[in-house]
Amino acid sequence: MRKFFIIILFLAISLPAVFAEGNRDYMRETGKINVVVAVILVIFLGIVWYLLRLERKLTKLEHQIHDTHERKN
Amino acid sequence: MWWKTLSVVLIIYALLAGLLVPLKSGIQRVEPAYARTKQDVSIRFYGYNTFFAKPAAEPLRVWLYADENNALAARQIRPVNDTILEAVFTMPENLPGGKQSVYLNAIIDHPEAGAALLPAAVELRQDTGMVAMALDPAWMANPVQKLHVQTGFSFPYQNVIYESIRNTYFHVPMWFVLLFLFSASVWYSVKYLRQPLPENDRHAAAYAEAGLLFGVLGLVTGMVWANYTWGKPWSNDIKQLMTAVALLIYLAYFILRRSFDEYEKGARLAAVYNIFAFASLVPLLYIVPRMFASLHPGATGNPAFGSQDLDNTMRAVFYPAIIGWTLLGFWVANLRIRYQRLHDKVMDLEG
Repeated sequence: MRKFFIIILFLAISLPAVFAEGNRDYMRETGKINVVVAVILVIFLGIVWYLLRLERKLTKLEHQIHDTHERKN
Repeated sequence: MWWKTLSVVLIIYALLAGLLVPLKSGIQRVEPAYARTKQDVSIRFYGYNTFFAKPAAEPLRVWLYADENNALAARQIRPVNDTILEAVFTMPENLPGGKQSVYLNAIIDHPEAGAALLPAAVELRQDTGMVAMALDPAWMANPVQKLHVQTGFSFPYQNVIYESIRNTYFHVPMWFVLLFLFSASVWYSVKYLRQPLPENDRHAAAYAEAGLLFGVLGLVTGMVWANYTWGKPWSNDIKQLMTAVALLIYLAYFILRRSFDEYEKGARLAAVYNIFAFASLVPLLYIVPRMFASLHPGATGNPAFGSQDLDNTMRAVFYPAIIGWTLLGFWVANLRIRYQRLHDKVMDLEG
């Protein structure tokens, strides 16, 4: 999950640079609309990153509850 | 639960309206950008979101004007296509106020799309040795009047910013979410000091954590936006600097929390620190930036609330966006609180 996330983050950062090759400026053409897309993407990925972190903590807690339960029985 | 639904509805509204409502017409640039007096000059206007070639009920009108009393109307107008317009001007003999050079603003008035303005579009220079006594009457012949206003929903056009004005609904609300979450956090910190219940501490910590998340998002989105409007991601702008300081202060809050073995001692000290952090947040984000020059718009008035930066159409998207993102922030913090509650319960059972 984490690796997957890092790949997405890497693509999000590097894709504009790839498209900007040559004379075309991917971020500046069409009225800089892709800046808005990038900003929305950053917010989305940031919140997803936080939720993933929370999920990992929850998984750990679930394992802990499971172990305690087994010990008691 | 209703507020979580509201949050989703408002964010979807902000995304759809924020991305789909078109910009008003604007003038990107003109060519040539300078002219001399007593000449016939053909000037090319490059428009953005314009409809020069589209047939309209009334004719297009084009002016170059120095101030409200001195304006030159185009003698001849020829649309090349929807975004390029050629207009021929007969430049008068002399300049208003007997000046050697004057910057003329450009206005293109379209009966449906409204008036588009470009300040200081053309520099008009006095031809050598030709200073007549009386001001050329051509300046007064065709005043700028009866401009049309676009009636449909549209966002303001601004050069350099263009479509990225839509970031107002995504980057700016992050700071509102941060302020609301940090306010909630300090509220629970005070509550904890009055009544040291773990529940109050959990709230304070979770709201501070979510606030920090949205603060970082605001900073990063600001850097992305700045890269394409100010030229580089970090310009040591006063707001950027103060925000970075404020976020570091809150980062220290979490380091402080974790640096005590005894839970209650750490929680109490963190609560006290949180009050100081919040007390420094307000001057750092809302007072100091207004005392220095800033690249941010509206820095001298109410940032993001000035009438120049926000028109009524933008307000109709901006305010719902703030509410939507804020509710999402509290939703995320709420999940964090519930996790911590469970965690503490399990630890208690085991311990």
